[in-house]
Amino acid sequence: MKGCGRTLQRRAAATGGYLWSGWGSLASLCLVMAAWSFAAQTLGPLILPTPLEAFATLMGLFRDGTAWPEIVVTARRAMLGFGMSVVVGSVLGLAAGVSMTAAMMARPVVTLLLGMPPIAWLILALLWFGAGDGTPVFTVFIACFPIIFVGAMQGTRTLDGQLKEVAQVFGLPLWMKLTDVYLPHVVSYLFPAWIAALGMSWKIVVMAELLSTEDGIGAALAVSRSHLDTAASMAWIVALVGMLLAIEYLLLEPVKRRVESWREL
Amino acid sequence: MSTRTDHSSRPGASGSALWLCAFRPFFLLTAVHALFAVGYWAGALAGLLPLPDVPGGAIAWHAHELIFGFATASIAGFLLTAIIEFTGAPPVGRKAVTSLLALWFCGRIAYAMAGTIGIGPAALMDVGFLILLVVRIAGPLWRDPSRRHVAFFHVLVALAASHAGFYIALLRQTDAIAWLLLAVGLLMILIIVALSRISMRLVNDVLEAQGGLGAPYLARPPRRNFAIFCIAVYSGAEFVFPGNGAAGWLALAAAAAVFNLLNDWHVGRALFQRWVLIPYVVYWAMALGYVTLGIGLLSGGGLGSAGHHVLLIGALGLSILIVMAVAGRMHSGYGLDHRRWLPVAAAVLLVAGLTRAAAGLPHAGAVHALLLQGAAVLWIVAWSIYLAYSWRVLSGPRPDGGQGCDEPRELS
Repeated sequence: MKGCGRTLQRRAAATGGYLWSGWGSLASLCLVMAAWSFAAQTLGPLILPTPLEAFATLMGLFRDGTAWPEIVVTARRAMLGFGMSVVVGSVLGLAAGVSMTAAMMARPVVTLLLGMPPIAWLILALLWFGAGDGTPVFTVFIACFPIIFVGAMQGTRTLDGQLKEVAQVFGLPLWMKLTDVYLPHVVSYLFPAWIAALGMSWKIVVMAELLSTEDGIGAALAVSRSHLDTAASMAWIVALVGMLLAIEYLLLEPVKRRVESWREL
Repeated sequence: MSTRTDHSSRPGASGSALWLCAFRPFFLLTAVHALFAVGYWAGALAGLLPLPDVPGGAIAWHAHELIFGFATASIAGFLLTAIIEFTGAPPVGRKAVTSLLALWFCGRIAYAMAGTIGIGPAALMDVGFLILLVVRIAGPLWRDPSRRHVAFFHVLVALAASHAGFYIALLRQTDAIAWLLLAVGLLMILIIVALSRISMRLVNDVLEAQGGLGAPYLARPPRRNFAIFCIAVYSGAEFVFPGNGAAGWLALAAAAAVFNLLNDWHVGRALFQRWVLIPYVVYWAMALGYVTLGIGLLSGGGLGSAGHHVLLIGALGLSILIVMAVAGRMHSGYGLDHRRWLPVAAAVLLVAGLTRAAAGLPHAGAVHALLLQGAAVLWIVAWSIYLAYSWRVLSGPRPDGGQGCDEPRELS
């Protein structure tokens, strides 16, 4: 009971410490806001509204109920494409990493996929799937897939052979080998790849929506651009970046620290 | 923190105890001037005394006397002792100390009489004081092979330049207050530079006393440099674009960067020891001051006075109090003072800062004058407490019969 209380106290302190460390990031963001604000003062509201104007517009969009439906649609598409690339990319990447031959075969394909600009995929997707969810979801999937594939493959390829042998000698059960030997190492490669792919997914989905759909943040951006409404455009961009930052710093980064904590031991 | 000095050549060896170490007269003057400058100001605001008739106006006198009178006296006392200790240089001679004291004192008189005799004599004395101080500390700082403490030189030179700018602005009859606000930023930077050195000793002593150094406290340079950068950028923007809303973001950046500094300070229960808690509150006051300035600029709400007073009374006042309370006693041969007067004086000072800030809020309205007077009284109470408990320490002989600035052998 006492040990449990101490663990809880330690975790609360670690969480508090993590949240407090966010002040540094906040300071950097405020510097960006200042640069934006000075630029806005120089360029004028038609070209660049101030951060406060963009926030006020975003608040207005939330108040009149416009913002949430678009955000939900975009999030659904991004998460669907990202989730598919996580599953397919991780499984295939791990499988490719197990076999030297498979890794050798996969390398040029991955280079090709990484080198292909997402806009080219988007054009193909438009031809294949037309306007609708299929185009942005596929574009996100195909753009994120090689990043995750490479991370998973490298994670498996760099497994410590000696550790494997030690696990073999001690006759560790398969489950224990997976969770205590292989997984911590592989995840330390996979997780940064997932985070990079997540960032990519948000950028790609908006680009795809801008050209192919009638709803979502990308489509809303297209509408605001056609109305020359820079404040609304900036508001949507703020919403997008804000969600990305929230997901990364409040969800992925704490999990990443947790799964990589063994490295500091 | 031991000084490597030759006792036989101490400046105060043949004089009164006041001259045993350079900080002694300066720390006393700091406290006395804190009482005088704010006491007179409160009396003038209450209509009991005439408002100072000086170029730049009465508010310029008030701000100038607290920034370049009160604060610089404490800075001189601190630097003339600390730089010697940090670098192992020989102590500053009595002649240099008396020259500095004379310049500082004549500067106060000359500025108060500037309405009659002109601004020239005050400018000469005040700027001369800071230049002489720079000259005294430059040698030890630059001769030190590691040059680890050269930041003090840079900040002091910038402070001297801003003081010169203040007088030039007065001569040209342009906005002199802007130079004082620039000096506020420089003082905040100086606090960060100085506290990073002092806190390494204080916090680790407390941690050690509490049973070992599991995770020793480190004032990490990247966080410190980031905070200094943000404050410098904000102060620059405030100077070049006064009242510009965009600078509000820079003030908020400075506040966040100061809060970020506190990551180093979360050292468990040691935080609640006065030697750690008071410097910790200094940073909180600094961050709150910049938050107030930031919100004021972004909302156009005119919170400049409130924000600057939180910085000056809260951050600057508290940091001067803790530095003088620790260094003043330790280098007079006494141990750390564990009596209640220090936390009480610190709390009173903090409340004074918050009260003065409240007086600067747009909604203060009818209670504005009451809050102003209340803040002044609290300030006077805090520094009276300091003076009552430190007078004998600073002006009397060392309890160990020693000479100079050496610390007592053991921390008490």
